[in-house]
Amino acid sequence: MKLSTLKNTQTQELSTLLQVKGREQLLERFCSIGLPDKQSEAYRYFDVEKLLESDYTVTPAFPGAIGIGEKVIIIDGVVSTAPKGLRIYYKECESADMEHFDPMYFLSHLLSPVIIKIEVDGDAELEIEHRFTKSNSLVPYRIVLHNQANRHATIYESFTADDIENTLVLYGYDMHVAQDSTLRVVKMHSMIDSRYAMIASHKVNVAKQANALIKSFDLGGGQALQLMKIELDTYAHVDASHLLYLNKDSKRGTVSQMIHKGEHSTSKQEAKNILDGKARGIFDALIKVEHSARYSKAEQNSKAILLHKEAYMAAKPQLEIYIDELEASHGATTGQLSEKQLFYLQSRGISYTEARKILVIAFANTLIETVKDTRQQEQIKAAFEEVFYTTHQRG
Amino acid sequence: MSTNSIMTIENLQAKIGDKEILKGLNLQLEPGKVHAIMGPNGAGKSTLSKTLVGHYDVTVTGGDIFYKGKSIKEMEAEERALEGIFLSFQHPVEIPGVNNAYFLRSALNAKRKHEGKEELNAAEFLRLMRGHLEMLGMKSDMISRSLNEGFSGGEKKRNEILQMLILEPEVIILDEIDSGLDIDALRAVSEGINKMKDGKRSFLVITHYSRILDYIKPDYIHVLKDGRIIKTAGPELVAQLEEHGYDTIEEE
Repeated sequence: MKLSTLKNTQTQELSTLLQVKGREQLLERFCSIGLPDKQSEAYRYFDVEKLLESDYTVTPAFPGAIGIGEKVIIIDGVVSTAPKGLRIYYKECESADMEHFDPMYFLSHLLSPVIIKIEVDGDAELEIEHRFTKSNSLVPYRIVLHNQANRHATIYESFTADDIENTLVLYGYDMHVAQDSTLRVVKMHSMIDSRYAMIASHKVNVAKQANALIKSFDLGGGQALQLMKIELDTYAHVDASHLLYLNKDSKRGTVSQMIHKGEHSTSKQEAKNILDGKARGIFDALIKVEHSARYSKAEQNSKAILLHKEAYMAAKPQLEIYIDELEASHGATTGQLSEKQLFYLQSRGISYTEARKILVIAFANTLIETVKDTRQQEQIKAAFEEVFYTTHQRG
Repeated sequence: MSTNSIMTIENLQAKIGDKEILKGLNLQLEPGKVHAIMGPNGAGKSTLSKTLVGHYDVTVTGGDIFYKGKSIKEMEAEERALEGIFLSFQHPVEIPGVNNAYFLRSALNAKRKHEGKEELNAAEFLRLMRGHLEMLGMKSDMISRSLNEGFSGGEKKRNEILQMLILEPEVIILDEIDSGLDIDALRAVSEGINKMKDGKRSFLVITHYSRILDYIKPDYIHVLKDGRIIKTAGPELVAQLEEHGYDTIEEE
């Protein structure tokens, strides 16, 4: 199946093709936006057309029995194992955000008639590993995740792949952060030598007085874009940070919309981007403060370091504000490693390569060190070094 | 001076950008001796120190620098450091996100590896550090902070001396080590420097003022003016410079 063929297909045919019975509204919405192309705002810097032109076998998700394991393992969109006692099950999707900005959000919903639902109870820590094993495949799946009110849960998310190629993963969360709760999500997505692509389209609702802490660490090569829409209720807070460290001809990044709906809602979004080789980093982020969100605070910042003359950062922080009673700031900078700092390290006998590595990690450290779990933090640092040494010879 | 030098600078010419700064500088550093370079503003003192450690700002246009008999003119900065040349910077840079202890251990282990020695693990390294920190009057939390970030002027200079003590270089260049130091800090820094004197190491103390020379006794005073050493004498020259300034010094 070539996704690009959906472009010229009539709604009626699509309805049959995608078996959308009962989900006509989603199809209608998808048809009204259409497939993304070079002109689409959200995909302007991402080579989406090439991915849509590829021929894939659609991997049908046949929900089966879920085994017991230390963590949730999802293989090609099917849950293989989950910790004992975790409420995880399949069901038809009850609702989706019909105002989402991303057409692929609707397409992934249309291609996933059955979703994976996870209900996190109490102050839990949960690991979710996504595994991909099939070449030439389209792997669509969606997860609906709820946490419990007044509780503090943490999700560690990671990705592994066999030696596969020409596979497109279309997955995403519909996340519901309950009132007075905290949900911390740490995503580590290292794609060294990976030849699959990913479009991850998320929706996060942050309820009254809830905190959502979203940290994404996107490292290595490959083509991947995460698109997230986050809505904030009264006194809700979101702290989103994105670390991007890319090499070779990778194109990856974040496209986001942070919507302040409730009064006194606060958001902080920080992106740090390190780009080597011919990599392209993307940070296209909008903060929208609606009329209803008086006394909100919004802060957004992107910093990029280019390690190679052919590397490129597409940073587009934006504010859309409809009220006066708020505090908001945004900014973006792009630079290179400091010659002075490099020389200082070299003047103490540290090789040029090691000095660069130290400075690159230093730049990233402010985000890496916010990961509380030492083991997870070490894993991120190790993956970070691995990416560094794929393009730089060890000193 | 004797011909038994650890470093010989011959007819050194160097520029920064288009500006010629060192214009045929000759100098020999003897092992175990303290050489002080004094001179007016703009004479080329800092350029000399940068040239000796291979700073990227400086282009050597003529002459040569020999260290232990070998030319180091083409050597990279890190090679010079590994061979034992150390510069205490006038303005050490701040590097947020780089843990001071991690940096110091990386530098020490790079040197040990170069010398064919085993690298030190974190525990061994911390044991080594403890005595040095105490002697320099440094709080132990300074090594867990980011390198030089938020350090006062005195703390930065003490941190430079800490690096010197750990790396045990053979030629030590101290560029304006006394600038920004109060009396207590000056005393502690000087004590660290004097501790390194072992009859083999050579010191090149670059300074505007004679105050530091009350603490680190020089064997030779060299006057640098307009890119060249115009006079070399014993410590008695300091008093003359203090009284009459640099204008009265005539080239030898």
